[in-house]
Amino acid sequence: MTQSRALRTPWRAVTVFLLPAFTLYVGFTAYPVVRTLWNSFHSVLPARESYVGLANFAELAKDEIFWRAVRNTLIWACTSPLFEVSIALLLALALYAKVPGARLFRIAWFTPVLMSYVVVGIIWAWIYNYDWGAVNYALRALGLGSWARAWLGKPETALPALIFITTWMWTGFNMVVLLAALHSLPSEVIEAAELDNCGWWSKLVFVIVPMVRATVLNLIVLSFVGKMKIFDLVWITTKGGPLWATETVSIYVYKRAFEWNTFDLGYPSAVASVWFVIVLGSVLTLTFLFRQREKLEY
Amino acid sequence: MVRSTLKWRGLAAALVAALFAAPVTVSAQELTMWSHWAAEVSKRAFVEDAAKRFEASRPGVKIKITWYEKSALYASLKTALRAGQAPDVFYAEPDQTDYIDNNLLADLSSGINWANVEPWAKTVWTFGKGTYGFPLEASTVEVYYNTKLMADLGVTVPANGQFDQAAFLDLIKKARAKGITPMAQGVGDRPYPGSYITHEALLKKLGVKDYDALMKGTLSWSDPRVVETLTFVKQLVDAGAFPASFTSLKLGESHIYFHTNPGALMFQVASWYTSRAFNPPDKGGQPVNFPLGIMQSPAMNNGACNQCKSLAVGGSYVVNAASPRKELGIAFLNSFATPEMGNRWLENVLVQTGIKTDASKISGPNAAYFKQLAKADEGNVWYFGTPVQVMQGKPKEVFTQVINNALPAGSISVDDVVKQMNAAK
Repeated sequence: MTQSRALRTPWRAVTVFLLPAFTLYVGFTAYPVVRTLWNSFHSVLPARESYVGLANFAELAKDEIFWRAVRNTLIWACTSPLFEVSIALLLALALYAKVPGARLFRIAWFTPVLMSYVVVGIIWAWIYNYDWGAVNYALRALGLGSWARAWLGKPETALPALIFITTWMWTGFNMVVLLAALHSLPSEVIEAAELDNCGWWSKLVFVIVPMVRATVLNLIVLSFVGKMKIFDLVWITTKGGPLWATETVSIYVYKRAFEWNTFDLGYPSAVASVWFVIVLGSVLTLTFLFRQREKLEY
Repeated sequence: MVRSTLKWRGLAAALVAALFAAPVTVSAQELTMWSHWAAEVSKRAFVEDAAKRFEASRPGVKIKITWYEKSALYASLKTALRAGQAPDVFYAEPDQTDYIDNNLLADLSSGINWANVEPWAKTVWTFGKGTYGFPLEASTVEVYYNTKLMADLGVTVPANGQFDQAAFLDLIKKARAKGITPMAQGVGDRPYPGSYITHEALLKKLGVKDYDALMKGTLSWSDPRVVETLTFVKQLVDAGAFPASFTSLKLGESHIYFHTNPGALMFQVASWYTSRAFNPPDKGGQPVNFPLGIMQSPAMNNGACNQCKSLAVGGSYVVNAASPRKELGIAFLNSFATPEMGNRWLENVLVQTGIKTDASKISGPNAAYFKQLAKADEGNVWYFGTPVQVMQGKPKEVFTQVINNALPAGSISVDDVVKQMNAAK
């Protein structure tokens, strides 16, 4: 009897320990998500809400600005991880090979990620400035003045210029994670490869990269998700312009909710809900694909 | 014992009642106000001075003002109004008709001495049977120019201050040929400076009625007069009317670009130009004795109203319809409605106002400027509002991206402008 009482689940203690986290989760994650989904089927105006069924989603399907935002965001989310992770791998390998000044490079390359997007946005708006920005200054100094342009002001260069900024910012973070992964590789495998007269290229492609693949894939997913949600950098630098060339879905949601002189939260909620489903679906698909490849491998 | 317990309970109840009652008494006399202009010293000083005067005239009343930058204020108000937590009085502009559509503003038809407010300024805030805002700040769209550079180019501004299309295009080309930037516009941080040239040209070409129809989506952008006007603007752009840094140049930088470094021939901007330019040079103002002239936007060939010009009511104050201190809020706004307050605004803020003023009583170093401005605005026919105030939702977004940015940046053809604007209707 006493023993069974002792084995019983201590519900009171469980409740006490779980309640704070549960309350925060419900208040700041679950409720906003559910409320956003609910809003997307309603017209949500101050003191009056009305059910509109799928009207918001029907409007969304015809909304050209939304689809431009989707296209831009997908371009960003699909290209950035490739640049960030591949460059990071090269830098990590350079540090792993203990190039001269490795400690200094590690700090220098990692520093950008310590800055907020707001600071980064302001700095790069200066760097890209047409009149006195460093990029155009360098081009003019090299006799390539005809290449100078308003990098964030032209529809054809604005998005690539922003992708370059996020690549610059996040490569260092990816590099540090990959460097940690490289340092944790089993030395006997690498030594065995060396004993088998494996050249550095073969060692890299057939030994090192396959062994850090799990880390690489995780970094790709993280970077992909980050770019699917990107807001602050765009807001600081271009606000989605010129001609919606840098409009992202998050920017569009904010504009519709707070800038379009309408109190209706239904439509922005519908945009956010659709995007939430797309992001979730993309992440699940990527995870599934990567797992499939793992299965094939082993 | 029982009596003693009852006594203590009674005392405790009285204390609790006093604790809760005290803040209510205080808050009943405290008028809360949220306003834009956190960074605009002269406007802040004017409003804070008005608040002090009102407090002095009503003992026990305290006005608590919170200053914001505009976008932060708008975002805060959107959530606060929805949650019933908005202040009693707040800043708004006439394009924010969503406040009126959602019954969030008190009707100011009675309680304000409208006889001391310009009729056009009242009209801008009148929707249906109600008037919902107190129009403090007003402005006209002007073309400021450097008279010395103009003389250096050997060009004489016509007596009425207005070039025709060909002469204006020639002026742009002459300035470019001499290495002078013709117009110091930039759209780095605002949704409108790039559109002035286009909307003033359209207004002159179409006249008030058809221009209004265009802004409200009932006249097509394919109208031959509109296409002709857009083609003229494109010619100006192609002739190099704007700085190469147009897309990244911010409003404050445009001011400096015009009057100080590197210097431009013209700067088309609302008449609140002075609120920055008349500051001391070390605070971003124009150089002492800067040769400032004012001219008109170019006259359009076969223009329906070449004397038409945009006049906009900007910063205004409104009263929260849900405020328990609505009457007090209206009384505070009414304290602005005197010619003395109008003149004080003009002299200190150096920007026009919707309050009736007596320009003859304005003295000091800027008196000559106000006379020059009054002359430039003499005989004009007004269109009330600018496109970003008149348009809402998608048309406004497309106007901002296309007419404010892409067309003057040379990133889009006239055909594409027409297509995009028609699609946004």
